[in-house]
Amino acid sequence: MSLLKLENVSRRFGALTALNDISLSVEQGELRAVIGPNGAGKTTLFNLISGFFPPSDGKIIFEGKQITAVNPAALVKMGIIRTFQITEVFLDLTVYENLRIAVETAMGLNLRPWVSRGTRAKISDRVDELMALVKITHKADRVAGEMSHGDQRVVEVGIALSRSPKLLLLDEPTAGMGDEETNHMTGLIRDLNKQEKITILFIEHDMNIVFGVADKITVLDNGTMLAEGNAAEIAANPRVQRAYLGAAA
Amino acid sequence: MIAEQRNKIVMGVAALLLLTVPFWAGYVGGYTDLASRVLIYALAAMGLNLLLGFTGGLSFGHAAYFGLGAYGTGLMLADVTNNTLLALLVGTLVGGLAALLLGPIAVRRRGIYFSMITIAIGQMFYFIAVRWNSFTGGEDGLTGFSRQPILGLSLNSTQFYYMVLIFFCLGALLLWTILNSPLGHTFVAIRENQKRLTFLGIRVDRYVALSFAISGVVCALAGGLNALLDNFASPDDLRYTLSGNFLIIVVLGGMRNFWGPLVGAAIFVLVQNYVSAVTQNWMTVIGLVFVLSVMFFPLGVLGFFRRRSRA
Amino acid sequence: MLLDIVFNAFNGLIQGSFYALMAIGLSLILGLNGVINFAHGGFMALAGYLAYTLDPYTGFWGALIIGPILAGGIGYIVEQLVVRRLYLRDPLYSLLATFGLALILQDMLRTIWGAQGVPLSIPDFLNQPVSNTYFFVTGYRLLVVALAIISTGGLFAILRYTRLGVRIRAGNADLETISALGVNIYLLRSANFVLGIMFAGLAGILAAGQLGLTPTMGDELIMPSFVAIVVGGVGSLFGSLLGGLIIGVASGVTTAFYPAASEVVIYLIMGVMLIVRPRGLFGQEGLFE
Repeated sequence: MSLLKLENVSRRFGALTALNDISLSVEQGELRAVIGPNGAGKTTLFNLISGFFPPSDGKIIFEGKQITAVNPAALVKMGIIRTFQITEVFLDLTVYENLRIAVETAMGLNLRPWVSRGTRAKISDRVDELMALVKITHKADRVAGEMSHGDQRVVEVGIALSRSPKLLLLDEPTAGMGDEETNHMTGLIRDLNKQEKITILFIEHDMNIVFGVADKITVLDNGTMLAEGNAAEIAANPRVQRAYLGAAA
Repeated sequence: MIAEQRNKIVMGVAALLLLTVPFWAGYVGGYTDLASRVLIYALAAMGLNLLLGFTGGLSFGHAAYFGLGAYGTGLMLADVTNNTLLALLVGTLVGGLAALLLGPIAVRRRGIYFSMITIAIGQMFYFIAVRWNSFTGGEDGLTGFSRQPILGLSLNSTQFYYMVLIFFCLGALLLWTILNSPLGHTFVAIRENQKRLTFLGIRVDRYVALSFAISGVVCALAGGLNALLDNFASPDDLRYTLSGNFLIIVVLGGMRNFWGPLVGAAIFVLVQNYVSAVTQNWMTVIGLVFVLSVMFFPLGVLGFFRRRSRA
Repeated sequence: MLLDIVFNAFNGLIQGSFYALMAIGLSLILGLNGVINFAHGGFMALAGYLAYTLDPYTGFWGALIIGPILAGGIGYIVEQLVVRRLYLRDPLYSLLATFGLALILQDMLRTIWGAQGVPLSIPDFLNQPVSNTYFFVTGYRLLVVALAIISTGGLFAILRYTRLGVRIRAGNADLETISALGVNIYLLRSANFVLGIMFAGLAGILAAGQLGLTPTMGDELIMPSFVAIVVGGVGSLFGSLLGGLIIGVASGVTTAFYPAASEVVIYLIMGVMLIVRPRGLFGQEGLFE
């Protein structure tokens, strides 16, 4: 059984068809890139999967269950976690504090005006675990708002990981980053997938990352699926070349 | 760490000063009741700060809960009982209950609308107090009660000061515990980025309403103590001008600092006291304090120091 | 009995006209300058007192014209010194700053003109009632209502047909964009603020003729003016006008039946409006949330 399945999914906004008859499946443990020119429907796809709005047609199935019209909060509980193109970290809090609130929320402790020492330790351990996972432990006491954009996005991923996602949706994870930060993020994505075995679906524009990291690539263009396959297949696909990579690829 | 040691020393000195007020107040031209007033306003402002500085809700009507605490306590002592602590408890509960019931109404809207609702609530209680002459004493205020002895202690100025100090510490302890718990962390996260929390599945308005209720309880306690201090309660305890005073106290001391309100209250009460003794135009001075602190000192006294130690 | 209700309702209408004029000025300033001007009542009272001082030299009509202009001038100075630094900050700060200004204004008025009330004399012929049954409808009161409507109409005309007006309306929607288009937004904000203050000034002089002058009169009118904006709809000038008149009349009518509730009813109306239809009668959805 595929982890995520879209069957003939379309989404229209009035007269505009953003996505047209998309069918795809993502297997457990996959690292899948979604690419396509601007306006191809990639973010709409993410919005559908994460429950922002329902599809106009078609079905979305997660772990064998229909999630076609389920709201985002419920999907978070089911394990579909997404990050945003515009970082939404807590700017005036430190990295540690950012992750702490995420962990406490994940543990359902938000209403507690007091917690025992044992629970405090559990929270603290989990935060340390997350910081180690995204390799930001050395910046634990830095205030998020004073960090670089790249670091903020790493914290974002950390927040997403606090919910132990079954399916992680990363919307343009390296957008706006310099080389070093891009490498960090790329390495992080690879580690999360290969070592932590998290299924990841990510939107990317940087072809180096896409071809270097992804197991499988889905190409969208103008709301339709142009091609699907591994790096070699996609690179060789003439339609993809024409639409996206340019003849020189 | 140097900063930590310095903080400990400052706190220690402050605690020592607070514990010995009745002995040195006279030497600096003050008096014990003035110190009680500082602690009472500080407590009210700390309650307000939970909502304002730590959850991000701009309430311009928190005097309502202060006033309800004052009237509740006063009426209990005037008509029902001789037990000072019971009266204080009832006053606190009355104000707290109002905040608990009205908070959910206020948080249905955000931003300016939220502030406007809090103003409306405050004004309503003010006019009820003014008009309901027979019950509240109207414009002239509620008299006919005074704080009664507890356990054989007459509660003169000095003894009452220590009673206020105890309640202040209890209130501060409550707030401190909450702010360092997951609930408190959630409040702060709401201030920082409501949207993010909503996407993590949190019903933000419920938490703001909870913050509203807790802050109302603390303000009501302060109001009750205020009534016991003056042996008097008046509609002015409910007025938006008092709400404004609490706000400026929070801003003066430092909005995002736990002890900010204590510093702010000390400055405000002392300035108000000394200036009104010196000039007729103390209102202008207070007004200037508002304007200048907002323009040049928006982080408040403690915020100013915190910035410097961080950089 | 009916006459009693009409009498009170008419009083309410007059009071409501003051609320409306204040609310319009407040709404202008809230819209473009993004500031909750707590000092609005102070400016209102200031204009009234200035008219009182000018009266022996210029007569009532002269004071009525010059008063708001002077108040506007002082408003300009205040905007330059204090308000303009607060534009981009948290609304809490402008609220507190203008609150402080209100305290200063009130105290200055008391210091200069005394704590006792003083009357503003109005021309005799205006004091005559226009009919015997409706004795309470005096020429002056009709003037108040007329001026409220005329000045609001004049404002609409300015907003609709003059360059300044168009810029104000555009600026309300998007200040950044019109700045990029070359409009001097600093000047625009000052002009808008002054315009708002002038409305407060007009309200003050008219109120002075009706109620007399006290240093605390601003205090008493400012809160209902906020209510008028909320009821009428934040972002709508017509709404502010209507909101003010509605709560004025509602308060008046309540006085006929249950005087003790005449102020509370204003806040009850606001509370209900905020729960049932938070954008008010004519407001725009989602503003300021």
